[in-house]
Amino acid sequence: MTAALTVADLAVHYPVRHGPPVRAVDGVSFTIAPGETLGLVGESGCGKSTVSKSVVGLQAPTRGSVVVDGVEIVGADRRTLRQARARMQMVFQDPATSLDPRMTIGAAVGEPLLVRGLARGQALRDRVAGLLAEVGLRPEHATRYPHQFSGGQRQRIVIARALALRPALLVCDEPVSALDVSVRAQILNLLVELQRGLGMATLFVSHDLAVVRHVCDRVAVMYLGRLAELAPRDALFAAPRHPYTRALLLAVPEPDPAAQRAKPRVPLAGEIPSPANPPPGCRFHTRCPMARAPCREQEPAWRQVGESMVACHFAEEVNSPGVDKPGC
Amino acid sequence: MIPALDVRDLSLAIGGARVVDGVSFAVRAGEVLALVGESGCGKSITAFAAMRLLPRAVTMTGGQLLLEGNDLAALPESRMRRLRGRRMSMIFQEPLAALDPLSTVGTQVAEATGLRGAAAREAVLAMLGEVGISDPARRIRQYPFELSGGMAQRVMIATALIARPAVLLADEPTTALDVTIQAQILDLLRRLAAERGTAIVLITHDMGVVADIADRVAVMYAGRIAETGPVARIFAAPRHPYTALLLAALPRLGDAPKAALAVIPGQVPLPSAFSAACRFADRCPLVTDRCRQEPPPLREMGADQLSACWHAERVR
Repeated sequence: MTAALTVADLAVHYPVRHGPPVRAVDGVSFTIAPGETLGLVGESGCGKSTVSKSVVGLQAPTRGSVVVDGVEIVGADRRTLRQARARMQMVFQDPATSLDPRMTIGAAVGEPLLVRGLARGQALRDRVAGLLAEVGLRPEHATRYPHQFSGGQRQRIVIARALALRPALLVCDEPVSALDVSVRAQILNLLVELQRGLGMATLFVSHDLAVVRHVCDRVAVMYLGRLAELAPRDALFAAPRHPYTRALLLAVPEPDPAAQRAKPRVPLAGEIPSPANPPPGCRFHTRCPMARAPCREQEPAWRQVGESMVACHFAEEVNSPGVDKPGC
Repeated sequence: MIPALDVRDLSLAIGGARVVDGVSFAVRAGEVLALVGESGCGKSITAFAAMRLLPRAVTMTGGQLLLEGNDLAALPESRMRRLRGRRMSMIFQEPLAALDPLSTVGTQVAEATGLRGAAAREAVLAMLGEVGISDPARRIRQYPFELSGGMAQRVMIATALIARPAVLLADEPTTALDVTIQAQILDLLRRLAAERGTAIVLITHDMGVVADIADRVAVMYAGRIAETGPVARIFAAPRHPYTALLLAALPRLGDAPKAALAVIPGQVPLPSAFSAACRFADRCPLVTDRCRQEPPPLREMGADQLSACWHAERVR
């Protein structure tokens, strides 16, 4: 079976007037199978949103390849790109800015079908009603405007529009980050239901590891423009192979006072370095609690350890007991 | 011991809408109290009221604000201005928006000390070191735009705490930060509360942050306190249906992935539509007629836990 998405050696460099280019994404590769949800996590500036923009053709990469449902996006002519866009759709963080305030919900959700000449008149209205039902809204909502809806409902509308063309790939960039907890749960439940029902592939970009664990099948962790680790969900959360993944997992405050206060603290020293001037060797070595001489000189290979693909010289030691002891 | 900050029966109105309605809480020296709730519950405006920094549209319609036993509502603005930054301080979600872009780190932190010259410089360097800023001698010459988000938040905390205030109001101080930086800032706040005896009121929407740092919690819903108590009790045995649902709606690292999360039907009502009876009634699974007729008072549920629910005993 062909992958829904294949990203190979993707790089996005932004030129800067003075100094070296900002290497926002610097050699990222992964695939997503049909029906699969891949989480892409990392802290701000790691390049995760730039990857998602390149995947949907909103950001031209410096090098590399993006193949959506068998079609190469990078360097594609407008016609190919237009056809490919029907196979991929995007959901952004802020539903308020994703909807035209002057357009009714029905017009917004039906627009992809109308523009491509796939339905009109009563048939279009029926399809829109069906899409609204699919995301838990009512058919009569079609005549209303975005301001008449809450944030959670607007995100449902955006999802309904994204589903209109039955895309092979859905790219969600922080889809629940702007929503309150009670509403977030509704949207997460909806996304899980849609995954089950439609068999779409999803690239799910988020900084929230608990959310990613909840909806994803596999998880890729980015740091400074590169993948640090890529692993099946349960393996990644049970036995992270990269010290950065482990530190991220331990840094997530869990809503359980006893468990949260008993966790080992792995303070990551310092700040994320600038992507214009990434550290030599392993990019994580300046903040890594395990860093040793080879990490400062030699770039770690992308290799398999257990169920994970990981870029760390000492991946075998990440879960060993005593890793938090001083002097390690 | 008198509490560092004691808010009693605070009510705030915007026009006819009672956006905060009879809110009471107290925080002692060295204690961290979390004020938690979803957007629009009134948690931030409550903190602004405590600082007497309410926007013009908001009026305080009742209640008392006691800072170390002194009633703030009775003070003239000139006295209040002397207390802000000295006896009580506030920090915010966006440190870069709160810092003066035109003055150096050293100047802004020094401003809060009232000292000048070498004495001010020494105090600033010591404080920056205390909040975990490396190479403070270099940092004091930098401008806010040269700082990362985490570094700027440390500078704001240093500015807020250099005069050793009794109370720190922290409004979503880590919401804009990455998790690894958030962990550093929470550790810092915890240490400052313990070592300096600062009373901290932490305003947040994040139950994980509450679990990490708070000693006690007040859960707010639609301008009222739904439930309050020690953090371990509230998480282990919530006695308000809103708290229970809020906790069940969170995806957790220990849960079965893709299992349905608890959902709170409907949405937070607008202040103009706040009910005179229980404000959670329309979304509550335990609702009865009484909930729609009489506002539930905060009732003692044992072990310092108070719940404003007629059916607190039935909450699972």
